Amino acid sequence: MKRRDLLKLGGLAALGTAAAACGSGGGSAPAGSTQLQFMFWGSTFEKKAVESMLKQYEQKNPGVTVKPLFTPDEYDVKLNTLVASNKLPDAGYVPMSMSFRLGEQGKLVNLFPYLQKYPQLAGYLPEAYLWSGPDKLHGIATANESMMVWFSKSAVAAAGVTPPADAASAWTWDQFVENAYKLTLDQSGKRPDESGFDPKQIKQFGISSSITYGAAWYGFLRSNGGDIADESGKKCTLDSPEAIEVFQNLQDLIYKHRVAPGPGQLAATGDEVPGTNILLKTKRVAMVVDGHWSLLDMNESKVDYGIGVLPKYQEPFTATQVAGASAVFAGSKHEQEAVELFAFHNDPRYVDLFKQGLWMPQEKKYYEDQAAIDSWTKNAEHPPEFRTAVVDYTRQHGVPDFRNRVKNMSAIASDVLTPALQELETGKRPAAEILKEAAPKITSMLQGWHHTQDV
Amino acid sequence: MRRLETRWGILMAMPAILGFLIFTIGPMVASAFFSFTDWTIGASPSFVGLDNYAAMAGDELFWKSLTTTTYYTLGSVPLVLIVSFAVAMLLNEKVRGLAVWRTIFYLPTLVPAIANVVLWIWIFNPDFGLLNSLLRQGGLPASQWIYAESTAVPSLIIMSTWGFGNTMVIFLAGLQGVPRHLYEAVSIDGGGPWRRFWHVTLPMMTPTIFYNLVVGVVGTFQVFNQAYVMTEGGPNHATLFYVYYLFRKAFTESEMGYASALAWTLFMIIMVVTFLMFRNARRWVYYEMAGAR
Repeated sequence: MKRRDLLKLGGLAALGTAAAACGSGGGSAPAGSTQLQFMFWGSTFEKKAVESMLKQYEQKNPGVTVKPLFTPDEYDVKLNTLVASNKLPDAGYVPMSMSFRLGEQGKLVNLFPYLQKYPQLAGYLPEAYLWSGPDKLHGIATANESMMVWFSKSAVAAAGVTPPADAASAWTWDQFVENAYKLTLDQSGKRPDESGFDPKQIKQFGISSSITYGAAWYGFLRSNGGDIADESGKKCTLDSPEAIEVFQNLQDLIYKHRVAPGPGQLAATGDEVPGTNILLKTKRVAMVVDGHWSLLDMNESKVDYGIGVLPKYQEPFTATQVAGASAVFAGSKHEQEAVELFAFHNDPRYVDLFKQGLWMPQEKKYYEDQAAIDSWTKNAEHPPEFRTAVVDYTRQHGVPDFRNRVKNMSAIASDVLTPALQELETGKRPAAEILKEAAPKITSMLQGWHHTQDV
Repeated sequence: MRRLETRWGILMAMPAILGFLIFTIGPMVASAFFSFTDWTIGASPSFVGLDNYAAMAGDELFWKSLTTTTYYTLGSVPLVLIVSFAVAMLLNEKVRGLAVWRTIFYLPTLVPAIANVVLWIWIFNPDFGLLNSLLRQGGLPASQWIYAESTAVPSLIIMSTWGFGNTMVIFLAGLQGVPRHLYEAVSIDGGGPWRRFWHVTLPMMTPTIFYNLVVGVVGTFQVFNQAYVMTEGGPNHATLFYVYYLFRKAFTESEMGYASALAWTLFMIIMVVTFLMFRNARRWVYYEMAGAR
């Protein structure tokens, strides 16, 4: 059971209380001062960091107080309630797909006019901007995140394998599978290609790469020249030969090569597997495809880990901007202050989460300027290979996660895509059959790509 | 004096009355209204007549969720009734340590939902879960349980029998109300345990069985927690229960109008099913005191 699930149940119970309590916020600021509300989610760790950021903001802006509205769970439910009752906070996180809806409805402040006034806002990575129409900038992805291969150093050393740490030497898919074989062991120490290998008693899986989690496979899909939809964004291309190859390969890791766990096999107590840090520390799995945010947990739990780049098909790619959105809510009495707080809230100078490894910056200079790069990566929390395997890899080989780019994605995912991928994961039917069935259904729900433009 | 009492009575009941009006009747009226509108949270509702209800006919997932829920109800309700009735019969015997046994069988009902779910996720684990370990030891093929489409709902049905305590207690109360002289009459006529059960216990228990049946059906049609916490409706919509689908429409997709229509449709389905059960009950439910009413 993940913490999220625990919280979910707690959330169920607390829903009524929370809805009742949220009406009591605000209005209590002393006369002459400005009170803002900042709503956010996250672990207790993130809570601490965000609250410290808000304190610093208050110190730098005398006369302004910020009330943190920490909402660890049922965020969309609570935010929907606040929207419906017109009691929105001033600034904060917004779930990605919801941000586009709220942006279109005019519930989020258009930041486009502010770009000139606050140059910092104009210096983000191009993919960080979230547009709900031409010149309608409704938000920014809170922090950057990308996907990579995490591995247990002792496990790969024992097998004589070295996952490459820069894009130029990325493994091909075949090399990747070959190495996964070397890293898979059953209880008696046999590998999948040795006779007597017992696939029911696997001690250490070679690789774990989620089939149902979009960010995990989107880099592979793009690397093989495929995508989720065509240029118009209205025709699903998951039934293309390139896409079928990628998904068949993922299914084959489990059922043909037997180097990866099937559904439920890693689950300790939930439908989701334990954290990557635990999987590597216990050597239940030797390599895991997971996001940059794992770094925090790796360090916290003192895992002997290494970071490598994803395997490639043609050009190496990794999904980036795997995150939620941040925005300023419309109707704020102090819109300008709220925009200033917004520019402040994910600035690496004031938020510890960058140095600690949970977030990657959105401002371009933190990937390009040496001093700026060092300011968040030159510390004990970031291993030596971080520069090539994460910073350069993300900047030069990143493709923005399709989930912030395709319209109506949340409904498509829950109604068609995720169920189809779950079926793929159970291995009952080949990828071609499943995807050829799902693609027309997705096409019928597609409404195009979200708008993008240069700032 | 009487009027004073009435006034105080109403006043004291006011919290409950107000709560019912504000938190139950109010939202029901509102959702009935919204079910005739196209309303996304954040936008203003626009009246669309019966469009939401008409849209359901062509909504594949609506039908899927309805069949999945019906499947669960048809599996879970009879199973829970049989298991809890059987256990209640056992606990109605005069055995040593009766109080202890009754406590043990009732205990799972007291386990909080969250702990219950954690426990069962472990029991269902395909690699090292309790069920598969037992099957392997017995030389039987293991199952994927909640992780495969074909076994997900049956797994949850098995899980539902775990919390039979409340149903069992009601059966137990019913069993203790069966008049002893009827059993004696069977014994005098030379009838054994089977005849006692078939000719006395079962007919006398039909009102209790009927009550548990209705409550069970109404409850299982609203099954939600397992889909929400354990499976998220998966794999491949295998556990897409009606209320979970409704919840998803309302809160992740913000389609409040359609979700309200879904809610009212479920309300009507449950009403019709309950009505049919009551009509049918005349044929098999026996009320000893029926004539005296």
